[in-house]
Amino acid sequence: MKKKILIVEDDMTIQTQLQTLLAGNGYEALAVTDFSRTVSQVRDFAPHLVILDIRLPESNGFEICSQIRTFSEIPIVFVTSSNTDMDELSSIMLGGDAFITKPYNTAILLAKIAALLKRAYPSGQTEVFTWKKAALHLESSTIEYNGQKAELTKNELKILYYLFRNAGKICPRNDIVDFLWDNQLYVDDNALSVNITRIRDKLAAIGLTDFIRTKHRQGYLL
Amino acid sequence: MSGMQYLKNRLLTILVNLMGMWTLALFLLANGNQVQAVLLIFMVWLLVLTVYLWLTYVVRKRRLNKLLRMTEQLEERYLIAEIMPLPDQADEQVFYQIMKMAEKSMLEKIGEIQRERKEYKEYIEQWIHEVKTPITAMKLLCENNRFPFTREILAELENINQYTQQALYYARSEHTEKDYFVRETDLCEVVHGAIADNKYLLRQSNMQIRIDEMESRVYTDEKWVRFILNQIISNAVKYRAEQPVLHFSAVTANNRILLSVSDNGPGIPPGDLPRIFEKGFTGQNGRSGRSGKWGKDATGIGLYLCKRLCDKLGIGLAVYSEDKGTTVELSFQMNDFVIGVQG
Repeated sequence: MKKKILIVEDDMTIQTQLQTLLAGNGYEALAVTDFSRTVSQVRDFAPHLVILDIRLPESNGFEICSQIRTFSEIPIVFVTSSNTDMDELSSIMLGGDAFITKPYNTAILLAKIAALLKRAYPSGQTEVFTWKKAALHLESSTIEYNGQKAELTKNELKILYYLFRNAGKICPRNDIVDFLWDNQLYVDDNALSVNITRIRDKLAAIGLTDFIRTKHRQGYLL
Repeated sequence: MSGMQYLKNRLLTILVNLMGMWTLALFLLANGNQVQAVLLIFMVWLLVLTVYLWLTYVVRKRRLNKLLRMTEQLEERYLIAEIMPLPDQADEQVFYQIMKMAEKSMLEKIGEIQRERKEYKEYIEQWIHEVKTPITAMKLLCENNRFPFTREILAELENINQYTQQALYYARSEHTEKDYFVRETDLCEVVHGAIADNKYLLRQSNMQIRIDEMESRVYTDEKWVRFILNQIISNAVKYRAEQPVLHFSAVTANNRILLSVSDNGPGIPPGDLPRIFEKGFTGQNGRSGRSGKWGKDATGIGLYLCKRLCDKLGIGLAVYSEDKGTTVELSFQMNDFVIGVQG
């Protein structure tokens, strides 16, 4: 089931772009349009998480947060352009779960959202991605094929994770490197090639050949 | 107050007395008095006159010296008219009035300028918060719609963001109020955060990032340190080598945690090194201009601001550069008390 996220943000461009971003990352995103009845919209939509701007027309984020807290414990992410300590302190005091300042890094925002959702709604099941009978186990950092397993390093796991998530699509090298950087793995283009070669060797050892295909000048494809 | 000057000022009194003596002498001699008697009267007169001049000089000098010392000890010297006693001399009272008037107009002027500065600072802060909305919107638009050039736009946006942050911290550093928030901070996280802030710039410049294991926790304001690191990274990107490398490491030594950021760029000439924290100092590398080797004109604000913020937060900031490469070292005080409590 898709997790529902409510966006409370008065800038129209940011609102729609956030919706696009969240929808693209597997969430159901809805934005508040009438800021005079934000709280009742939270009640009606029953989101799993709220992204809340502090400066809003007719009201402010702090007020809305404390109103939401009277009936719900859902994670609330404060997003603001004013990064004063008072704001941060107030947001924590009023029960906000995270405080992110604009202009935010989308990778960090998404990671924060994912972490908060995971904590608030533990699913209990381990995360496994499968594609063409190969299974990628995130928890144990292994890849499994026909009962045979191969251990993966941190870099290799993240690369495979990205490829599995975009399975069937061409993944440009640059985007893979971007993704690795977002995960605090600062590899460059050459190191990516080296890692891909190593992954192919490991896959060949468990009988998976031609699993990662190279698209010349475009990237890699599962 | 010098004695000679005082005597010169009293010249009229002395002349009048001398004329009086002369007239009296003529009168007394015409009346058949003896020369000795006239001379005796002269002596007594001169003695009285000298004692009078001497006494008034000493008394005035003492009073004025006291006033002078009082002014010197005063923090805000223009306020002297507030605390000095009302003089009893008629002419001094006029000067006293003039001083009072000058002080009042001065205070009004200062108040006006302070108000203007405060309003300007508030406007700058508000402007920066407002400009962050379109920056965020542009970032999201770029992230959602990938084109070949969006990477370059994202890199430029990182530059814009860094410049706006610089303006914000400049406006804040001018004021003495403490608007930082010290708490336990994971240095590693701050470093990763700062790299994330400059992701596209670093990627664009093919910078290799090396981060040594660091388990350091320090007590500081995360935002300020992140801004300082952003500034250091931005300098490393501006002044970089053909195959640039940026190396982060942290060591603990003598109750301090030292965070080093080293690059393999052109380094800082030894002559420039002592002056890099000066406001507006750009150095040989920075002055080479937009068309020059290092791309952009330096403003001489970045490191100056870093130094100011570090001073406020109690972080030691040192820059080493020998021939090639620059190492910036931030040293954080380990808090004995906190360590003691944590056991």
